[in-house]
Amino acid sequence: MRARTLAAVGASAFAFAILEWVLPRALNPYYLTILTRIGVAIVAAVSLQLVNGFTGQFSIGHAGFMAVGAYASAALSVYLGSEWLAALASVLPVPLARALYFPLPLLAGGALAGVAGLLVGIPTLRLRGDYLAIATLGFGEIIRIVILNVDAVGGARGFALTGQNGADLRYEDLGAIYAVVAISVAVIARLAYSSAGLAFRAVREDETAAAAIGVATTRVKVLAFVVSSFFAGVAGALFAHSEGYIHTNSFSFVRSFEIMVFVVLGGLGSITGAVIAATVLTAAPEGLRGFGEFRMILYALLLIAVMILRPQGLMGSRELSLGALRGWLRGRRAAA
Amino acid sequence: MENLLQQLVNGIAWGSIYALVALGYTMVYGVLRLINFAHGEVYMVGAMTGFYAAHAFGVADQPSALGLAATLVASMAACAVLGATIERVAYRPLRHAPRLAPLITAIGVSLLLQNAGQLVFGADPKFFPPLVASREAWRVGSLAVSNIQVTVLATALLLMAGLELVVMRTRVGRAMRAVAQDADAAALMGVPVDRIIQLTFVLGSALAGAAGILVGLSNPKIDPLMGLLPGLKAFVAAVLGGIGSIPGAMLGGLLLGIVETLVAGYLSSTYRDAIAFVVLIAILLYRPTGLFGSAQPEKV
Amino acid sequence: MPLLELAGVTLRFGGLAALGGLDWGVEAGAVAALIGPNGAGKTTAFNVVTGVYPPTLGQIRFDGREIGGEPPHRIAALGIARTFQNIRLFRALSALENVVAALVAAERPGFADVVRAPRWRARERELAARGRELLARLGLERYADARADALPYGEQRRLEIARALATGPRLLLLDEPAAGMNPAEKDALRELVARLRREFSLTIVLIDHDVRFVMGLCERITVLDHGEKIAEGGPEQVRSDPRVIEAYLGSPADPAAA
Repeated sequence: MRARTLAAVGASAFAFAILEWVLPRALNPYYLTILTRIGVAIVAAVSLQLVNGFTGQFSIGHAGFMAVGAYASAALSVYLGSEWLAALASVLPVPLARALYFPLPLLAGGALAGVAGLLVGIPTLRLRGDYLAIATLGFGEIIRIVILNVDAVGGARGFALTGQNGADLRYEDLGAIYAVVAISVAVIARLAYSSAGLAFRAVREDETAAAAIGVATTRVKVLAFVVSSFFAGVAGALFAHSEGYIHTNSFSFVRSFEIMVFVVLGGLGSITGAVIAATVLTAAPEGLRGFGEFRMILYALLLIAVMILRPQGLMGSRELSLGALRGWLRGRRAAA
Repeated sequence: MENLLQQLVNGIAWGSIYALVALGYTMVYGVLRLINFAHGEVYMVGAMTGFYAAHAFGVADQPSALGLAATLVASMAACAVLGATIERVAYRPLRHAPRLAPLITAIGVSLLLQNAGQLVFGADPKFFPPLVASREAWRVGSLAVSNIQVTVLATALLLMAGLELVVMRTRVGRAMRAVAQDADAAALMGVPVDRIIQLTFVLGSALAGAAGILVGLSNPKIDPLMGLLPGLKAFVAAVLGGIGSIPGAMLGGLLLGIVETLVAGYLSSTYRDAIAFVVLIAILLYRPTGLFGSAQPEKV
Repeated sequence: MPLLELAGVTLRFGGLAALGGLDWGVEAGAVAALIGPNGAGKTTAFNVVTGVYPPTLGQIRFDGREIGGEPPHRIAALGIARTFQNIRLFRALSALENVVAALVAAERPGFADVVRAPRWRARERELAARGRELLARLGLERYADARADALPYGEQRRLEIARALATGPRLLLLDEPAAGMNPAEKDALRELVARLRREFSLTIVLIDHDVRFVMGLCERITVLDHGEKIAEGGPEQVRSDPRVIEAYLGSPADPAAA
């Protein structure tokens, strides 16, 4: 046990070092942006996986919660953050000041998104199947349209992350961003794969039976929803602070569909599947940029083809772990 | 008062268009329990086909009844074929898959059509040819009903009456209703279920195509992404009326059109698009089965 | 005082009365049966007791406490567990996970699961051990890590019982536990039920169609037809009751020959 923990810590530290100090110097900014977008996509996908894949509730309004997180965190930074940052920077070296400040808008975005999740979840989680899907779609759109009409966060012009004193409030520190990604994924994985977390999957498998063994099914669904929307808010906050400018167009139901595609293609119920799908499907369109308009068409065709040919997605509901990988290799060698 | 009546007239005109599209959603849900997310794009293809057909037939420059009729037929035919193709290629293979799979495929088809549309038709908006002269048909005080609105209403009513006739008075319609109630039992009774489902798509898509033309007449700026929002709203209308119920879809469409127009007129036009979703949430929370739907309790 | 008591319980769906004025009691420690022809309302009675439907009229008392209208998870916490006519296992989960889910059902995932302190690890180990022990008591230990839907049919039914037992109930409701079993399996099930009553100090109520299976096992039998009680008593009494015979066969004949 101790050796494994030590190895995990070592690997994490190594990864952090690479992301923080090596890559920003080695890669050109375009690739760094893609890496950041991948990080955002991973958090968005894994948080949705908790609701759709583990708890079996088909929610397709995820982008709405990302929007709440993005705009709430941006508003905090723009209206209050620059002062706090300046205050911190007067007593600490600037990178440290920024590193200490950064968690605040993330938590604020996540918290507000979580509250939104609670408000949306309580009434809608009574509904089943298709009706729940439509309700969440509807709420996602309502949130987006309401934000669009709030002038204090830019309205139709979009919202730039510059403080009132002109300070640039962007935060593109790759190491910190991926630390947040790793923590988010770990939290969700730990919640889902515990004994108490069996409740999520019990609700997914058979809600009636789950209630019959004492699971408070509505409360479990709401919990999944709130945790999921919290992390969606964190993803939104990451997005806002790395892009430096946000517009509600980035949070339409097209974005909700995209994230749902990550989850389904990766395999409903597989965290590693969602991570892989989010990574590949965020990076690939960038790589497919040469295809121009064909990019989205290929994307849509891919989705349709996968649903018809392999509806369980890449990983089904299994996870990729070192043990599983070793077993698979052993199996291949035995068959050869 | 007259302003209110004017808003009502406008609302009914828009509502009848929503109703035509809503019918497609409700019929497909009735037989397949599937939300055909791609339906909004079929409506868009209808508008686009109408644009190209009108120009191809050479009737685009001046209003004419014949021009309108020819365009309508062309568009409805094209959409019927599109709808049947989508059903055959994307939904039929998933007939027995878990409920989530066809839903996701539907979203995929929707995305495909939107982007293919942008490629094929060009992303820039086009102007739908004025097949009906924009004139006042009728005036009572300051209440004005335009030629176009009359055309829209008349066409929509005619098509809805036609559908009602087919569904309630023909053998084929009876087969459709049987499949909607219990596909397995219908199959055992000798109903060719696959054919009937295909027909459902054909009819629904044709109506959507007609709706596309009617929208082109009312709001001439058309573009490949025009199906997204109206598609969703028509779906809300179907849910409002009770998804699976044909009279429900008609009534739901009209109601939604009226509510939207009234809110945009009296409250705020910026929130116009949000109204449909607010209505949606309200129905789902207070009366999920809609106006004419019936509750389906789960057997434990 | 009976452990479970229904007084005048009526359940209406629209215009249809699935249960009409049902008075029924089950004494603590008994093994009782609820029988009747198809559509008699037996499963509906279970559903009303376990909170799936609130009764339209009447009271339901468990150990003296009124439970009519309580939601299913609260009734499970009060000590009533059940199995289902059509097996409702958590199919993608392993047998062990099915049982452990029931052991922890009252708790919700939270910070402890994220932080994973040593105390959490110890508890996880303890839960797994208790789960395996319960599976072993029902002869399912070798299936512990297999997917629930991979188990043979008879074992799936036993797993459902194991899961119900994991909630620590005082009253166990078994809905058609012998469905689809051959005579040898039914004998084994009969022994299992008797053993469960002893080892777990349970009160058990069975629903079953097989009148002979029920006769050999249960002390008190209640017969329903069209949502109403038409007979009640010991096996001999019920077997020869003309109303019971008529309900099952529509004309005088011996149901024991069924």
